[in-house]
Amino acid sequence: MAKSDDCVHILQGLLVFGNVVIGMCGIALTAECIYVVSNPHGAYPLLKATENSDIHAAAWIGIFVGLALFALSILGIIGVIKASRTLLLVYIILMLITFAFEMASCITAATHQDSLTPNVFLKQMLERYQKSEPNNNSDNEVTKTWNELMLQNHCCGVNGPSDWQEYTSAFRLTHSDADYPWPRACCVLDAKGLPVNLDGCKLGVSGYYNSNGCYDAISGPVNAHAWGVAWFGFAILCWTFCVLLGTMFYWSGIEY
Amino acid sequence: CRGCSGGSTPSTAPPRLLPAAQVGPRPALTQEELEGVTTASTFVLDQPRCVFDDYGNAVIWLVVALEKDASTFNNSAGPGTPETAFQSFPEPVRAYMTLNATLGSYPCPKPAGDITVLRVGSETSCAKDESRPTCNGPLPGPGPYRVKFLALEGSVPVAETAWSAPITLRAAKSPGSIPTAGSGHSAGMIAITTILSILLAILLAGLVAMLVFCGSDSCGSSTFSKQEAVSVRRYNTHHVYDQPAARL
Repeated sequence: MAKSDDCVHILQGLLVFGNVVIGMCGIALTAECIYVVSNPHGAYPLLKATENSDIHAAAWIGIFVGLALFALSILGIIGVIKASRTLLLVYIILMLITFAFEMASCITAATHQDSLTPNVFLKQMLERYQKSEPNNNSDNEVTKTWNELMLQNHCCGVNGPSDWQEYTSAFRLTHSDADYPWPRACCVLDAKGLPVNLDGCKLGVSGYYNSNGCYDAISGPVNAHAWGVAWFGFAILCWTFCVLLGTMFYWSGIEY
Repeated sequence: CRGCSGGSTPSTAPPRLLPAAQVGPRPALTQEELEGVTTASTFVLDQPRCVFDDYGNAVIWLVVALEKDASTFNNSAGPGTPETAFQSFPEPVRAYMTLNATLGSYPCPKPAGDITVLRVGSETSCAKDESRPTCNGPLPGPGPYRVKFLALEGSVPVAETAWSAPITLRAAKSPGSIPTAGSGHSAGMIAITTILSILLAILLAGLVAMLVFCGSDSCGSSTFSKQEAVSVRRYNTHHVYDQPAARL
């Protein structure tokens, strides 16, 4: 009898520890998702213009899942200590529902990250940058965002300045190829915002123009957000799985 | 001789024209590492350094023609005339002349480290200006084009390079041709989906098993029973043979 008593206490201790970790992770997940939702990175207008804001849906789900995990972990601790079948049954069922929601959020975040290929941004940039009759405000936003991106990150286009030569674009309709092989924002600018050497920039002499593409600067923060939501959620779910299995085993051993 | 008629050689005949001397090398796209060596309407040549050194008095012109019209160009066509005006290129003008310079613009030898190039097609301000027939305007199509340098003293061609190899400019595609369909799912996303689905399935199966097998009391007593006082009740046995029936 003493041995089974020890087993009970060990299992209870493990379950309480597991629930404490789940509670803390729930708070961390909520904090991280609030950060993702409220702190859009510089390229966010480009994401909005692609009408693909799955990462935000995933982050909103993450906020509520995090709070639910925290509340349920407290319920779980109480249920384990009291060895109450009802409380633990409620806990298990609610945790399974939360598990399903968090699973949806992780998969959405991971899929969203996959869908943002360079071609998506390339097509959007060519069709909307410096569009002469902007359809709506988002075209102006796209132009402004690209100008800021190219100035701050010293980059040009998505893959490089050759994007402007390989494809026709809204920009090309209003700016002749001979005067503007690529936009002025691709030139190295001095403190006043004028090209250091305009002929050097038009020729493409290295040092007077930005030769690398902006895709890395865009995808870096986007990927960081997506990975944060997707993989942290995945880790929490793996831990939750173990705790839930332990709770089910504990529940089945409680006397009615 | 005065009064002669039917004379063989008029005294005021112009001197016989000598063909222009061939100097080399032929013009070529620059070998420098430039992003804009060819664009949709411009291209960049190396300057003709140390090529026309024997012709210090000449003016060096660049002749640009479509590849199919290069062989029909006549060296005696003058620059700045309607027959060689840029604004009428390529119809009806078959070849235009532009980028005139004296030898002083191309000092020999070329200083090491300097980028000495000519950008053909860079002047957009005079592209439609008929009063500037020698405009270095943007080329009207992807070509292919051939170019050569021609040195003129006055209006007499004295030296020329061979025609260059055909130069084709870049043709731009429409952005509608960019494929934006999803490139498939990455390994990470597939891993997350499969693993989480399996975990959820195990949990649901566990829940069902838990409820079915342990919904009633059947699981409880064997494992984690609470400590209960084990009391043995005294059991008085009444043997039937102890009854007074034995008195009979």
